[in-house]
Amino acid sequence: MVRRSARRHLAPSKKRGKDPEPKGPASTPVIEPTLVRLGILGLLVIIAFGALFSRLWFLQVLASEDYRVLARENRVRRVQSEPPRGRILDRNGKVLVGNRLSLSVTIDRQSLRGPRQQRRVLERLERVLDRPRSDLRSNLLNPAVSPYKPVPVANDVSRKDVTYLAENQEDFPGVGYELLPVRTYPEGPLAAHVLGYVGQISEEELKAPYFRSARPRYLGGDLIGKAGIERTYDRYLRGRPQMEKVIVNSGGEVTDRSVIRPEEPGRDLTLTLDAKIQRLSEKALASGIRAARAANYQAIGGGVTVMDPRTGGVVAMASYPTYDPGVLADGISTKEYGALGAATPNDPTDDKLLNRALQGQRPPGSTFKVVTAGAAMASGVASSSSYLGCPPSFTYGVTFNNWTSADMGSMGFARSLEVSCDTFYYALGARMEDTFGAKEPFQKYARRAGFGHVTGIDLPNEAAGRVPDRAWCNAIRKATDGAICPYGWVPGYTINMSTGQGDLIVTPLQMATTYAAIANGGKVWKPYLGSRLSVPGASGEGRVVRRFDTRVTARLPLEADELGVIRQGLVQVISGASGTAAGAFAGFPLDEFPLSGKTGTAELSATDSSLNDAWFLSYGPARSPKYVISVYVERAGHGGESAAPIAREIWEGIGGFNSTTDVTLARDSSG
Amino acid sequence: MATRDVFRGAVDRIGGEPVSARMARKAPIRHVDPTLLISAVALAAFGAVMIFSATESKQLQAGLDPGFFLKRQIVYAVVASVVLVIVSAVDYKHLRTAAAPLYIVGVAGLALVLTPLGTVTGGARRWFNLGFVTAQPSEIAKLGVIVAVGALLARRKGEVRSRDVMLCLAAVLLPMALIYLEPDLGTMMIFSALTGALLLIGGAKVRHFLVLLVLTVGATLAVLQMGLLEDYQLERITAFMDPTPNVQSEGYSPFQAKIAIASGGVKGKGIQDRNSQTSLDFIPEQHTDFIFTAVGEQLGFMGSSVLLVLFGLLIWRALRIAAMSRDLFGSLIASGIAAMWAFQVFVNIGMTVGIMPVTGIPLPFISFGGSSLLTNFACVGLLHNVHMRRFL
Repeated sequence: MVRRSARRHLAPSKKRGKDPEPKGPASTPVIEPTLVRLGILGLLVIIAFGALFSRLWFLQVLASEDYRVLARENRVRRVQSEPPRGRILDRNGKVLVGNRLSLSVTIDRQSLRGPRQQRRVLERLERVLDRPRSDLRSNLLNPAVSPYKPVPVANDVSRKDVTYLAENQEDFPGVGYELLPVRTYPEGPLAAHVLGYVGQISEEELKAPYFRSARPRYLGGDLIGKAGIERTYDRYLRGRPQMEKVIVNSGGEVTDRSVIRPEEPGRDLTLTLDAKIQRLSEKALASGIRAARAANYQAIGGGVTVMDPRTGGVVAMASYPTYDPGVLADGISTKEYGALGAATPNDPTDDKLLNRALQGQRPPGSTFKVVTAGAAMASGVASSSSYLGCPPSFTYGVTFNNWTSADMGSMGFARSLEVSCDTFYYALGARMEDTFGAKEPFQKYARRAGFGHVTGIDLPNEAAGRVPDRAWCNAIRKATDGAICPYGWVPGYTINMSTGQGDLIVTPLQMATTYAAIANGGKVWKPYLGSRLSVPGASGEGRVVRRFDTRVTARLPLEADELGVIRQGLVQVISGASGTAAGAFAGFPLDEFPLSGKTGTAELSATDSSLNDAWFLSYGPARSPKYVISVYVERAGHGGESAAPIAREIWEGIGGFNSTTDVTLARDSSG
Repeated sequence: MATRDVFRGAVDRIGGEPVSARMARKAPIRHVDPTLLISAVALAAFGAVMIFSATESKQLQAGLDPGFFLKRQIVYAVVASVVLVIVSAVDYKHLRTAAAPLYIVGVAGLALVLTPLGTVTGGARRWFNLGFVTAQPSEIAKLGVIVAVGALLARRKGEVRSRDVMLCLAAVLLPMALIYLEPDLGTMMIFSALTGALLLIGGAKVRHFLVLLVLTVGATLAVLQMGLLEDYQLERITAFMDPTPNVQSEGYSPFQAKIAIASGGVKGKGIQDRNSQTSLDFIPEQHTDFIFTAVGEQLGFMGSSVLLVLFGLLIWRALRIAAMSRDLFGSLIASGIAAMWAFQVFVNIGMTVGIMPVTGIPLPFISFGGSSLLTNFACVGLLHNVHMRRFL
């Protein structure tokens, strides 16, 4: 009853129909279609609400998780601080790389409002600090630093300047100062190639597996080891940075901060390196190269590796030319980097950063004959008591000449090494090729002795070298369209390799490793530098927390007598009457300090002997050698002439003998 | 009905019921709509809480009274409640005669706000600064237009001719033009929507709507062609259409709004979460136009649903009142109000969830703002007026 009367004006009016004249006062009932029209309006409302509901369902129920991540990214920032980096010590605890605190001026980018203010602040800083504005600017704009962290723009600022800045804070908005740790090198450029340097992590490095997989995560702006030991052991040296979680609002203002993880300083790393022998090696290498240059050789560079054959530990590693890591110490500016003359395609020789001891790949010349001898005896084509002739030339399809035109007669392994007879080894190479062919025992032995692959030393970017074999030959032939290995594998390649020539390339470190194996009775070590980590102490080495071990990667498959004839030959190279290094060691107290060694000359040009690389491998003293020294000088003529004197100078230093006066250089053409 | 038979000479009884009893039964005061009133008050309370949570942290950070906006909104609500009572007390039939003066006052307000009397905020001249409070005449004008157009159409009793439609359009286009000058695109859209609804209920024919549709499309194209829109207005619309908007500029607000609402999930983060988008002030204009983001983030899908249900309840009551009204004028007013609310809710929430472009339309009852709350409570009063007097 009530309801019906409530709809009075909507009462049926069919009978009025299409009456065009709505007559009568307000009491006339209104047509029914109003209800229908209200229904339409209601339907539109329902559709609109349905749309809102389904959209909310999608956003808040189905897609909520994705947006929660976005919300977190909006507000949460992680800020890391740099803990003091671990020091690097030599085997006696002498600090090779340390830290000092640098008074640095920083700018908080958050408090700089607009580029105009930034320019004005930089202009004023330029005047106060007397540093070029362009440098300050490029440091400030370093995209690698978190925007919530003040950016260091100038290191080693005077206290006076900082005081001035603090007193005139209103002119320097956002400018502050911090004591930042900076790398120091108490020994100067000593072992620069081994130690490496630090710098800010780059985009590519952030993606590299070493840095990507590390925990705690590396972040943009982190100071990392860029090369050498600093790079290999970065995880331990860096320490654990303090991690702070910062909540920011829409204006970037910090509303809350909490330390998630406290700081833990980096570990000190002790190396197998001996600073004294390192210094000795670098000095000897530099003076040897000076001497070679005085003798009109190009002598563009060289490398020395001193290794302990008993442990595989690297005692010294020198490369020439070298650089001063001090200029890169602060990790702020990258300008100095260019001055080091990174290798360019036009001038690959100018690379001061290249560590030639493990990155220089050259043919080893006659120093490789110990490998040929070992392979020949191990494969059975010769024995320790075998005698072969040493004719002026050896013919196997083509003719291979000895270094001398005289026939030196029949000889055993020891003498073949002493006089470095080429034809003796050509014959051995030919025998192995004839007997075994595609079984390639020579190549297999060479790989076992440490060639054709990286030694695995704890330094980055080691070169692998190459042992040419049939597979390589076929691959390169295909790749170069027959320019190299045009006829496929020919026995001549093996014959060439038997004297360390041809396509065989090795690094000085590989040579050191194989000579260490001869010296220690057959153990091919994986060489290493990092020996232990310690918690930093007040001075010297602190509490050791971890030791690094190395391992023997292979053993030379030689019997004692076989190893014996090789060793005997190496003794005679230095002390024998016609030893190829006898001249270089004339006057050296060999009775007191017996040495073994082998010269090598890699012939890179058939006609121009000045393009030859000079090698000298040696170990000593006597029967229980403590050191192996591998010396190599690029484009410096003959091993006995340019490389052996460098080794001699190092041995003198190790043995504590005075510098010799009467060196007569072996001016023969032996390898 | 047999009431006539019962009526035997004496006039003191109708249908066996004493006239006095009948009068008492039909008295307006006996026909209160509690659902309507409760849902309106609940919405206003909901809004006050959300305004507080959206402004608290920002106020605290600025060292100001965290309850500033809450207190203001409560004052507005009290004043608005008084207005509600007054509006519902006087029979709405008098509004038909008052329609013309009301309309003129509304238009005059809109014209005055364009003079230096109006205050410019954010590039738009929309407010009067009355010292302690600012008033937005376009809010009041909405009510004026509903009443005026309602009165116009009610006279036709459902028989709407083309010239009636034109008259209505003329009545609406004048305030719309003034609002365009402020500018306030969102309110213009509301005017269009409620005019459409009034014409629909008033009895306009299909052909009228077709012509209107053609005119609207033509006008839109003309506006775009002639560059009558401000750059930011265009950018907001293109940002809405663009699947990969620039979230740093025009796309920033809707993007942050969507993050806030969606990250709320089903249950929401709670009002107290200090690390919400709301607390960290990631959403511009959050206590006014983007107030729904606080609801979505802090109360989640459940809270959003409660809010939508409250709106649904309110609009359902408005449409029900339109259907029950004793005359067409009441139906028109009620349906106009219902359409206005529904449209505002859809466009406002729609823009925060990314299905509508960004326009400055407040969410009724929830957004901070005195004029808006006052108008909406007046609307509730008007609806209630119609409801109470449906038997008179």
